[in-house]
Amino acid sequence: MASIEETPLLKVDSVDESAPATSMWADAWRTLRRNPLFIISGILIVFIVFVALFPGVFTRENPNYCTLENSLGAASSGHPFGFDLQGCDVYARVVYGTRTSLSVGILSTLIVVFFGSLVGAIAGFCGGWVDAVLSRIVDIFMAIPMLLGAIVVLQMFRTSESIWKVVLVLALFGWVSVARIARSAVLSTKNLEFNTASTALGSTPMRNLFRHIIPNSLAPIIVIATTSLGSYIVSEATLSFLGIGLPTTTVSWGGDISNAQSLLRTDPMVLFYPSVALAITVLAFIMMGDAVKDALDPKSRTA
Amino acid sequence: MTESNNVKASEVSSASTSTNSRIATADQLHEQQLAQGPLLEVKDLQVDFTSDTGKAIHAVTDSSFSVYPGQWVAIVGESGSGKSTSAMACLGLLPGTGHVVGGSIKLDGEEISGWKPKEFVKIRGSKMGLVPQDPMSNLNPVWRIGTQVKESLVANNMDVSHEKRSKLSKALADTSVQLKDEGDETFIGSKELPQLLEAAEKALVETGCEGAKLEKAMADFRTDWVAGSETRWRVADDLMRYGVKDDDAWYIAKKYVTGSTMEDRIAGLLSEAGLPDAATRARQFPHEFSGGMRQRALIAIGLACRPELLIADEPTSALDVTVQKKILDHLRMLTDSLGTAVLFITHDLGLAAERAQHIVVMYKGRVVESGPSLEVLQHPQHPYTKRLVAAAPSLASQRIVSVKEHGGDASAIMEHKVDTAKLEANDTIIDVEHLTKEFKLPRRKELFKAVDDVSFKLKRGTTLAIVGESGSGKSTVANMCLKLLEPTSGKVLYDGQDIANFKGKSLLDFRRHVQPVFQNPYGSLDPMYSIFRSIEEPLHIHGIGDKKSRAARVRELLDMVELPESVMGRYPNELSGGQRQRIAIARAMALNPDVIVCDEAVSALDVLVQDQVLQLLNDLQAERGLSYLFITHDLAVVRQIADDVVVMQHGKLVEHGTTDQVFNNPQKQYTRDLLDAIPGGKLELGVDLADKK
Repeated sequence: MASIEETPLLKVDSVDESAPATSMWADAWRTLRRNPLFIISGILIVFIVFVALFPGVFTRENPNYCTLENSLGAASSGHPFGFDLQGCDVYARVVYGTRTSLSVGILSTLIVVFFGSLVGAIAGFCGGWVDAVLSRIVDIFMAIPMLLGAIVVLQMFRTSESIWKVVLVLALFGWVSVARIARSAVLSTKNLEFNTASTALGSTPMRNLFRHIIPNSLAPIIVIATTSLGSYIVSEATLSFLGIGLPTTTVSWGGDISNAQSLLRTDPMVLFYPSVALAITVLAFIMMGDAVKDALDPKSRTA
Repeated sequence: MTESNNVKASEVSSASTSTNSRIATADQLHEQQLAQGPLLEVKDLQVDFTSDTGKAIHAVTDSSFSVYPGQWVAIVGESGSGKSTSAMACLGLLPGTGHVVGGSIKLDGEEISGWKPKEFVKIRGSKMGLVPQDPMSNLNPVWRIGTQVKESLVANNMDVSHEKRSKLSKALADTSVQLKDEGDETFIGSKELPQLLEAAEKALVETGCEGAKLEKAMADFRTDWVAGSETRWRVADDLMRYGVKDDDAWYIAKKYVTGSTMEDRIAGLLSEAGLPDAATRARQFPHEFSGGMRQRALIAIGLACRPELLIADEPTSALDVTVQKKILDHLRMLTDSLGTAVLFITHDLGLAAERAQHIVVMYKGRVVESGPSLEVLQHPQHPYTKRLVAAAPSLASQRIVSVKEHGGDASAIMEHKVDTAKLEANDTIIDVEHLTKEFKLPRRKELFKAVDDVSFKLKRGTTLAIVGESGSGKSTVANMCLKLLEPTSGKVLYDGQDIANFKGKSLLDFRRHVQPVFQNPYGSLDPMYSIFRSIEEPLHIHGIGDKKSRAARVRELLDMVELPESVMGRYPNELSGGQRQRIAIARAMALNPDVIVCDEAVSALDVLVQDQVLQLLNDLQAERGLSYLFITHDLAVVRQIADDVVVMQHGKLVEHGTTDQVFNNPQKQYTRDLLDAIPGGKLELGVDLADKK
């Protein structure tokens, strides 16, 4: 039995004033900072964004300046990755392709998160027939395979020269998954006691929605947004590969991969570089999504 | 073996499972317990958990206790004191990263603390059983109850046709008779049961037994002779008690009691645990059971392999008090008759004292006090135990008188004298008239009446407690008083005005005067809001003051609930349950309300913290003349805080009176049952509480 001296009585329920104050976000940040997955993906993403913003820093070549005499030329000084079939500098095309892929990914994600969470939040918060109607619409979109739908829609806009058509198509078929997640997040937050408490304090339903429910539902939405950013980049590449994505004049990894596929057996390196760039970018975002998920939802931590 | 020996055996053996078990005298039991030595001996146990950062967290730093065969030992402590961890270490079932780093655990003299998981498997179930805490989540919803009992029997290779005797009951029998024949422990099988009863009737008739006596004997046999639970020598013994000759009785018992099947045994176990109609129940699924029934099924599983030690981890804390009493009474009877020792983990000192012979008090991972129950209660040595004894509401209800000894500072302590003057004054602040609320249940046509014609009055400056078990409709009443739910019929008057008419501005005004404090201290504060923002929110909504004056008000409120200013910048996840509940009270007080509706506001808190919050509520009432509508399931708490009591059952008002009336002179059986079920309520305490603080 421990003697009295060994277990001094503490003041009942005293506050530990020495501990630093942490909100959920500060806590998440602390977890993130220590996660190697986050550090690696963070560095990669910062680098990728830098490349997308300032491609000129990395190459002086013009990706669209192609001369057939360089066709399939080997790597040489100033042209580290060599030349493709059209005689364009592969390195320059990979560098400039970053901007396209990243802007498609980020723009699609922003639109998807905005509309998806809005519809989801309204459905979850209102309930009743509003929820029923919105949920059925979501179900209908869910039933359409994203790529198949995108192919059909993009066929109609073959002539358009803008990356926006791809962004909008990706958003059109992507918002539903965010809407579902947002709806369930709002549903589970809606019934928590602090909302009842807030109502009893006199706040209106709308105030509850914007001040309490949505901020508390953000975490899963952020997680899915980070993870799906990578998948939008892949989808864009896929569409460009199929020849119905970005206009041929735009430098994009998907388009380059498509052009290089015939050279797989003779000059695999032409295919290799844009593919690796794509893979690294997507991997970085998916790793980031995983790290964010671990930080925001400690329950789902794997190890 | 002679028959007379068997008769003797039945007299002294504690091995019977029937309700009229004949238990060895306390002295004999005690002697045997000491002779056999401790069944479980934990010494200087240390358990660490590893945190995310790899740091060791010392959950248990110094825990020592022993459990003797057939003894009930209770470990008492608040959440986080290491009581469950100590017990789970004995079973080798430490969760997550927990591991034993020091000390020893001896089972039957054998050191088990360093065992590998494989070795633990051998003793779990067969030597040590577990009754887990939460009956709702500890049964697998996809398997039938019977299958889950069977799992335990099969896993331990139990012989389902013979009873297994604990060493203790064998030893007790051995003191007067030699070891019984194995065959005498054979269970009745359901197949032979009708023939057995027939033969028994015939034998009784032969002895000249007839009429009412015969009827009674047969009725007794039918209820007592449960297939898969009663054994051969019990049958013979019963027959002999009704006058059948020894030889005939043994002839019948041997002929017709030939062993039970797995199904019989499962049903037998469930009926031992107190489930009626066990054979049918065994084929049902967990969702068809109430919480109490599930806990009984878990007890059946825990005892299925006749362990010598049963570890019961807060087995009834999720259940209503009346159910808790029934289940513990039954478990007591069962373990006494089987000679099973019980390590009983609880946060409730009153419950521990009432149920266990020996109490171990844990605080911050250490055992601070250990001793015979009454000894610990009446002469607590450690200041923590003293504090615990003083604060335990179930015990407090017995010592209202002691308040007077405190003289001047009586208002500062929580014992509350019923304020008759205020109750008699005709100053009603909330008037509930014939309140009824019906809910539509899914897939049901008829409406469910959650609240049925309830009327009461809350007088200004007093506390009215609504008491009832889960499902009694008490929270629904609270929500209607808060205008968070609209009543189906009847009305709630606030200060003479019907609250149903409040809209817009008048509703906002009503909100300002009537505030809630909810049960769950973890759910009622927005986790994204800092404490400052949480408390400031009502001021913000009602547009009171400017930024500066609001900040000043928040400081004032924090001071009122005795929290340091530094918590303002913190978030709810950093505070304990009691601190959050104080924040919730501060938020409710921000608008200077007249009425606070406390919906189970202290139920989730540890005893000492609960005591502290109740004191705070009481002080606030005294200072500001607040009126409380206090919803609780805990009658012990009611005694400490309420002036008026409303008892509800199944949505109806059962009893209504002042606290003194209800406690001293309950009118309805239901109220009496509730009062009876307060754990430790009947314990005599001669504690000197002068040094309570």
